[in-house]
Amino acid sequence: MQSNEAQDLAQIKKTLKELLVSDLSLEDIKPEEIRDDEVLFGEGLGLDSLDAVEIVVILQRKFGLEVKDLENRKDVFYSIDSLAKYIYENRKKNS
Amino acid sequence: MNMLGMGIVFASGRGIDSLDRALHEGWQAPAEVEIKGRKSFAYKVDQQAISDRTLLKNMRRADKLSKMAVVAASEALAGGMVNISPSPHPSPTGGEGAKIGVIVATALGAHVTTFDFLDDILEYGDAGVSPTTFSNSVHNAAASYISSALGIEGPTLTVTQFFFAFHSALQLAQVWLNEGRCDYVLAGTVEQYGDVLAYVHDTKLVPAHDGRIKPFNLKPAFQVPGEGSVFFLLGNNPGNAFCEVQSVSVNDQADNLPPADLNIIDADGLLEDESIYKECLSPDVPAAAYSPLFGSMMSGSAFNCAAGALMLKNQKSYANPVTDNPYGFNIVNDTAPCSIELIRCVRYNCFHERAEIYLRGKQIGEGR
Repeated sequence: MQSNEAQDLAQIKKTLKELLVSDLSLEDIKPEEIRDDEVLFGEGLGLDSLDAVEIVVILQRKFGLEVKDLENRKDVFYSIDSLAKYIYENRKKNS
Repeated sequence: MNMLGMGIVFASGRGIDSLDRALHEGWQAPAEVEIKGRKSFAYKVDQQAISDRTLLKNMRRADKLSKMAVVAASEALAGGMVNISPSPHPSPTGGEGAKIGVIVATALGAHVTTFDFLDDILEYGDAGVSPTTFSNSVHNAAASYISSALGIEGPTLTVTQFFFAFHSALQLAQVWLNEGRCDYVLAGTVEQYGDVLAYVHDTKLVPAHDGRIKPFNLKPAFQVPGEGSVFFLLGNNPGNAFCEVQSVSVNDQADNLPPADLNIIDADGLLEDESIYKECLSPDVPAAAYSPLFGSMMSGSAFNCAAGALMLKNQKSYANPVTDNPYGFNIVNDTAPCSIELIRCVRYNCFHERAEIYLRGKQIGEGR
């Protein structure tokens, strides 16, 4: 079971990184160059508030997850790690 | 008003040197594209031509239409060597700045992004639409990106009017300059190629199956869709101008102008029957048409004007890129130095209304 969870999380992180680079039109960075624990907003990857809304759209379109109350869910958007965890847990809940 | 600077991005590259080279080299085959399984052609702008990390550093979200417009407008501004003011950014050359306005003329605007936006609604529902796609689909997006990227804070406007958008932009620029609302105006056009446009061209117009637009064939009128952007920095001061825009008229004869030394016609296959162009051609005045270099665009007049401005600046005539001439018109067959003072650029729309732009050479005109 642990192994499946690790595999699923790894796959989600890989997909997330690819989606961030393509859908947010990130330049000068490849998906594999984004660290799992890298801060996404501000000093880290340098994303901004419009990117946050784009990520909400990505979660909805690609993972079938709706994020409401964006302002109070900053913890989810902290890093690839936190986003992947949120996706994994909520997909499991929904399935 | 005078054309003080010029910037262009089109299928053959970016910048005035690319335009000059394309005019010298003549017709080049367009890119092959596939439309619903059928082979066709289009003059598309290479992504490399608009990959400018310095200029576009804050424009990663912009669509291709806006990037083309910013690149062309930036080169027009740089060519005119004008300081920008007021601006939070320091002027690169120092000194008193100038008030600059921006007018973007486009027939179809951000139609590619607009259709992407509509597709998103159909596929994901209205809550699943990308906000970036929406913001790029807004009518004035390209003009806003130009203002933002170049630090311009003057009036900004987008003019949409199928065939005569560029003419309207020039007329409005003249008004802004005469009113003193601006010291300079960046006026130009931008069009983008996309699947829907390709489909319309392929099914409603006559595709050039050999990839050649034949402007003097008139009927049938063959077209190849194109995309690109061309901008002019306009001002009333003479400066080191390409030429003077002496007159712009839509459906009205320009007053008291002598016959032009050259007629440039905007025939490009966008009218099913372009025989109407016979009315403006004369055996005494040589004619040229450069749409085969740029592709068929409803705002293609701006691209032909760019060719005309370069001719006047360089005092050189450029051979027609495609010389099919079944009616035996007097057309320019050779690229050679020549003395040209006045060029008339003529466009007809589908109601056979005529728009004319007269360009006068500065070097010759000033001496008289």
